Amino acid sequence: MTAHLPEIRPTLDTAAPAAAEETTPGRGRRLTRRRLYLRRFLRNRSAVGGLVVLVLLALFALVGSLFTAYGYTDVDFASLTVPPSPEHWFGTNGAGNDTFAQAVHGLQRSLIIALTVSLLTTAISAVVGAAAAYFGGRAEKVILGIVHFLLVVPSFLILALVSQRAGGDWRLLIIALTAFGWMFMARVVWSMTTSLREREFVQAARFMGVRPMRIVLRHLIPNIGSLLIITFTLGVVSTVQAETALSFIGFGVQLPDVSLGTMLSDGSTTISSAPWLFYAPAALVTLLTVSMALIGDGLRDALDPTSRSGGRA
Amino acid sequence: MLRYLIRKSLSWLLMIVVATNLTYFLANAFLDPRANYLQLRPPRTPEQIDRSLSQYNLSPDTPLLERWWHWLTGIALHWDWGRSPIGESVNGEIAFRIGVSAQLVLFSVILSTVIGIGLGVYTASRQYRFADRFFQGLSIASLNTPAVVAGLVAVLLAITLNQALGDTLLYVAGASSPTLTGFWPLLVDRLRHLVLPTAALTVISYAGYHMTQRSLLLDNINSDYVRMARAKGLTRQQAIRRHGLRTSLIPIATSVAFSIPALFTGAVITEMIFAWQGMGQYFIQTISKNDVHGAVGVAAFGALMTAIGAMLADVAIVALDPRVRVTNL
Repeated sequence: MTAHLPEIRPTLDTAAPAAAEETTPGRGRRLTRRRLYLRRFLRNRSAVGGLVVLVLLALFALVGSLFTAYGYTDVDFASLTVPPSPEHWFGTNGAGNDTFAQAVHGLQRSLIIALTVSLLTTAISAVVGAAAAYFGGRAEKVILGIVHFLLVVPSFLILALVSQRAGGDWRLLIIALTAFGWMFMARVVWSMTTSLREREFVQAARFMGVRPMRIVLRHLIPNIGSLLIITFTLGVVSTVQAETALSFIGFGVQLPDVSLGTMLSDGSTTISSAPWLFYAPAALVTLLTVSMALIGDGLRDALDPTSRSGGRA
Repeated sequence: MLRYLIRKSLSWLLMIVVATNLTYFLANAFLDPRANYLQLRPPRTPEQIDRSLSQYNLSPDTPLLERWWHWLTGIALHWDWGRSPIGESVNGEIAFRIGVSAQLVLFSVILSTVIGIGLGVYTASRQYRFADRFFQGLSIASLNTPAVVAGLVAVLLAITLNQALGDTLLYVAGASSPTLTGFWPLLVDRLRHLVLPTAALTVISYAGYHMTQRSLLLDNINSDYVRMARAKGLTRQQAIRRHGLRTSLIPIATSVAFSIPALFTGAVITEMIFAWQGMGQYFIQTISKNDVHGAVGVAAFGALMTAIGAMLADVAIVALDPRVRVTNL
């Protein structure tokens, strides 16, 4: 949490530098911050496992379409609802769509939605929360009032209302998920930043005549950067879950477009007769959420200077 | 304490009223009750449709503000939350479905709390050993499993089990069989319907309690008063149970208090997969059938339950934690 505060910058204590110097001769006594974080992250085996799984999933989404002759909308009338075979690796559904091609496209869709929404909500909540904390007074009251009110509004219901009307357009779904996803995090950012606003470096910047929004963007937000990185990874998890749930109910992504949620809803109707329609999307979505959560946990331990679960340094 | 509660509940009430009215206008903007009549055979003329809609205060011909006023006074004077486009009373639907949802969610809340706290205590006193790491991994996986996947895996396992037995042991759909009579057969039947959805819900919700309880207890295990208890001659397990656990249960109790009213708002995905006619399923139904009044009723009910949960959590803190005084709140 203290990326730009020199007095709390994590330094190696007296025992460790000797080892560090042996392994990397010619470097100074200090590890750069990035290297330190990388080391602490790589030491966490489950986080590295999560990262490997995520990279594999991303590769699958990006280049998976090269391994199949079918597009996700192509229909193979000769094979309706066939189990996995060399021709169709993951089988086909009742309409003759190749499940492998659909899985590649669905994962792409879910990934794009989740990454965009999480990026947007993190950015919005950072700016809104930090601005509320910095400006204080009436602006703070108004912003917090809006945030609290939006937290009471049954957001899942409104999401369902809006996205049902969107007719399955994934770009509108992104807007809706973002609009109702930033409030809680904005509150957390606000409470973290209130302790920063009286710090010397903020005061100094203010007395040097730096403009308020610039202080928020250049001095406050970088200081909660590690919180935001963790928020981003966990935001991906919750967005994937929300998107899957909405699409499963039939309110999110809708046919002819395909996401992991629509594939799950497709598979749920034939779960005893054609279980392979369920296996592929279920495995992909679970791998995606679990790997992201593991990465988030690893990042938390790596970026938090007080955490000891990563071992020394 | 009473004054604090009254002040708090008034501000919650205001928020609920505003949120409900906002939902009313949103629902009117996004839902079109006329669509329900368009597919009917023989086709109705627009006049016929409007006439049947206007008797439920849903006709788009009436100005929105007039409809809103009619709806609002109906609630304020008669506690009548309106009717669906085909005339079902929202009051009646919600009253019936609350019970169904509560049946579904109650056991899973109890089970996940007990399992979560138990595992939290067990793993905290074995930090970084094999059992701790194992259950931690399991909890991360189950916490992040989407509800859809958990429910469908339960269905798949049950079907396999039923096929292996050659008989239907666990039902995968519905809350009860309609034809049974007698107390014991009914009870057994209920349980056979309840096992799967309860298991699916418990798997995705216990892990939150486990993680919280573990980290809270770990914060307390190394504190002075636990070491003091050890110095007085208690065994490590006794010291953890009697001194560490008590303080770390307070935050858990507040989150349990928060989740009790949520019993009645149901579980959307699980109810859908297991075909229970609860609040969650009603929520989907109102939106997909353009039931404006129903959707607003669900929203208001959800907001009310959130408010009650938040206030219960406040009360729980004050009741359990001697360090918190009402004047500090």
